Amino acid sequence: MSAASHSKHARPVIRMMILTVTALGVGAAASFAAIAFVELVSMLNSALLVAPRARVQWERLPELVIAATLLVPTLGGLAVGLIHRHLSPERRPLGPPDVIRAVQFHRPLPDARSGLVSTLTAILSLGTGASVGQYGPMVYLGALMGGAVRRLRMGVPNLAGIAISCGVAAAISTAFNAPIAGLVFAHEVVLRHYATQAFAPVTVASATGYVIANVVFERPALFLVEFAGVAHGYEFALFAVMGLLVALAAIGFMRLVLACGPWVAGLIAHPALRPGAAGLAVGLTALALPDVLGIGTETLRFATIEGAFGRGELIVLILAKIALTALCVGAGFSGGVFSPALLIGSLIGALFWTLASGIGGIATSGVAVYAIGAMMAFASAVIGAPLTCILIVFELTRNYDITIAAMVAVVFSNLVSHRLFGRSLFDVQLARRGMDFSQGRDRAHLAALPVRDLLSDAAVVMTPDDSPAEIDAKLAARGWRQAFTLDAEGRLAGVYSPSEGQKPASLIFDDDTSLADAMERMRGFVGDAVPVVARDGGRYLGAVSEADIVTAWLDHVARIREEENAAL
Amino acid sequence: MPRFDLFPLVLLALLLAPPLGAQDLGQDLTVATWGGAYEAAQREAVFAPFAEATGQTVTPVQYDGTVAALLDRAGPEGWDVIDMLADQARVACAEGLLLRIDARELPGREALSDFMQPPTRCAIPQNVYARVLAYDERAFPGVKPTRIGDFFDTARFPGKRAVQRGPDGILEWALLAEGVPPEQVYGLLSTDRGLRLAFRRLDTIREDIIWWSDPAEPAEMLADGRAVMAAGFNGRFFDMAVRGAAPLDIVWDGRIIGTEVWAIPAATARPQAARDFLAFALRPAAMARFSEMIPYGPTRRSAFAQIGLNPVTGVPMRVHLPNAPQHGGRALIRDSAWNAHTRDLRQRRFQAWLERAE
Repeated sequence: MSAASHSKHARPVIRMMILTVTALGVGAAASFAAIAFVELVSMLNSALLVAPRARVQWERLPELVIAATLLVPTLGGLAVGLIHRHLSPERRPLGPPDVIRAVQFHRPLPDARSGLVSTLTAILSLGTGASVGQYGPMVYLGALMGGAVRRLRMGVPNLAGIAISCGVAAAISTAFNAPIAGLVFAHEVVLRHYATQAFAPVTVASATGYVIANVVFERPALFLVEFAGVAHGYEFALFAVMGLLVALAAIGFMRLVLACGPWVAGLIAHPALRPGAAGLAVGLTALALPDVLGIGTETLRFATIEGAFGRGELIVLILAKIALTALCVGAGFSGGVFSPALLIGSLIGALFWTLASGIGGIATSGVAVYAIGAMMAFASAVIGAPLTCILIVFELTRNYDITIAAMVAVVFSNLVSHRLFGRSLFDVQLARRGMDFSQGRDRAHLAALPVRDLLSDAAVVMTPDDSPAEIDAKLAARGWRQAFTLDAEGRLAGVYSPSEGQKPASLIFDDDTSLADAMERMRGFVGDAVPVVARDGGRYLGAVSEADIVTAWLDHVARIREEENAAL
Repeated sequence: MPRFDLFPLVLLALLLAPPLGAQDLGQDLTVATWGGAYEAAQREAVFAPFAEATGQTVTPVQYDGTVAALLDRAGPEGWDVIDMLADQARVACAEGLLLRIDARELPGREALSDFMQPPTRCAIPQNVYARVLAYDERAFPGVKPTRIGDFFDTARFPGKRAVQRGPDGILEWALLAEGVPPEQVYGLLSTDRGLRLAFRRLDTIREDIIWWSDPAEPAEMLADGRAVMAAGFNGRFFDMAVRGAAPLDIVWDGRIIGTEVWAIPAATARPQAARDFLAFALRPAAMARFSEMIPYGPTRRSAFAQIGLNPVTGVPMRVHLPNAPQHGGRALIRDSAWNAHTRDLRQRRFQAWLERAE
């Protein structure tokens, strides 16, 4: 494949121009889309009395506020469920795992219609106050902009994946007002390599997003905090301990998110009704605990102010937010887990600070640095991107001291969650769909390639009707040493060779055996080819030759090496 | 279709033509405004040049800025134009007491982008004022207050604080002092938690507050030593300082910028003349002349370039305007809709806080 596509490559100058134009175009489109997304959500939040600033202005009509609190998320959920059911071919919300899969396996994204529907339902979900995040859908929206480039045949290798990464970087850069984080996120989570060929355009796209967000629209930095510096050296030990504890909470959160989908499915048979039920749960909780509603920008800020929450309040809020986010995501609301992770993390940080300084009586440098450190430690465990999280802190707070403190919490959290759970929620979700990145990209690629794609019908087959003499002649004519003997139902019975007669096959592949498994199992194998049989019923499907397997493996490794080292 | 469009026009012409035709040139335009130095500046900067240019004299009448006054007096007294606070105008507009103004005609499509805040349905921004922190230089010869947090820091800056007896402004400051960025202040104050935090901050200066209710008082309190720091309006502090009555200084950090608008009472008999007046008053030149006389900033960017010295004192005025581009620090743009809709709640909570002390 790589050899064949080389001949179609455009000249380097042309390639450079195509990559630059792609980066600028996709970056700008993704950035505008992200801004429109945020604006639409905030308009809905105001109009539907989700935002506190809108709710308080109707304080004279408490019945209206109560009705809105209950009905808006419920009806929003119902609408999301019905739209997914009837308008989306994929019938589910799309998110970062779909982007990672498309880029890693050089496949197209799910169809554009499903993508647009998913974006629409994300706006509805967030607009009506579901406890989900906005960054996942924005990443997908950015990827969707990049994905459009795939249709143009430009003669640039890996262009589709690079364009998608450009969209992702620009979306993050715009959403957080953090161009460096956008750039690193695209590499750390989506591309998973740092080839110059990709690095340059993704950087350009990220900068484009930043220019549009800052220069054109003058959006304020998201999370300015005032922090004079860490006062005591021993606090860094506290940050590390906090990172460890936060990781445990994050693992619990991720397990709950994964478990909630099947649990809700068992509870409510009709998929379209699930988000509505989750919405009602959000509404009911919000009557007593309005902080759980929506993205929770205000709550995030409160977490950095000393004394904004009582200790009991913090515990209740953390548990409620974890449960409701898992429920909303599991029930099929469209939205990510990153913003809720930020919120939960910061509340845990505030709780940790209350315990350390209140009960522990330790002198500290204030709650803000703990809230922000824990916020990023939690989020980095969930999205598996420690570098991105450290840089987001840097770019959001523009504060060096806070970044160093958060860095310590982030790495300790990542260490624990990676060891006990997996690199990220996305990776575990992908692994459950058969794409396991825990052993590296190459292994994941090979593991996703079934050997049945390499089947050839060149192998000689011996049915009960064939005589050994006929088979011997066929083998001699094709230069093979073995034939596969089948029974009357077409099932594999054994391996026949003129010298040894019929014997049971020493190695058999199933139709779902991957190239990675095949390479593993072929250690010490002697023979022309390996028979492949259907897992159900044992019918013989064909055989793969040893040479084909080795060639496929070499091609894939070469392709990955080329991609990871491409300069242009 | 054309028939329906013409009918109201014809009706309007029948109703308005006879009096207008006969009396238009001779009739005065009545403008309701605030009085005092503010009105004096308006007379010189806007009303007189308008009369010179059009031959129509302007008769100012004073009112107290409330919607109630507009309701009671506009009809009987024949008000044609009214100068209002943006949030009061919003309420009056919702109650149908003001005429709708199509922003595409007035101030006009091209001029719109020159405005720093967009016009609303019935009102066009004309100038901005600010609620600021001022202090008495004599009280702090060494380290001086520089940030809004210093207003709540009685350890470093001891002394009485003059504060308006009401929830306006001080709650916003309390959250700014907690490190909340201006963009988030109203969002946080919209929650019960935010209000609690603000009052908690207010608790820290409870014993040091001296209350005022007339906007003239805070500057006087600083001048006669009753207070060392005061929350008040920038124009009043400026007056006191420029007259040389007391060495006051303004801390621009945490200023809350409010907007003053022009609007047309629904009761006016001469809507077209009122619109002509607004078109004149909203020119950058008129705004700049006004800002030279009193430290209220223009609402159009292009007006800044034309602002020079005060014609009487010779003070360069740009630096004293609340929205002058050179002021650093945090500025909070007063959300007039939010203020109008949450007045009752904040008043209630403020009253409860006051009573808790007594």
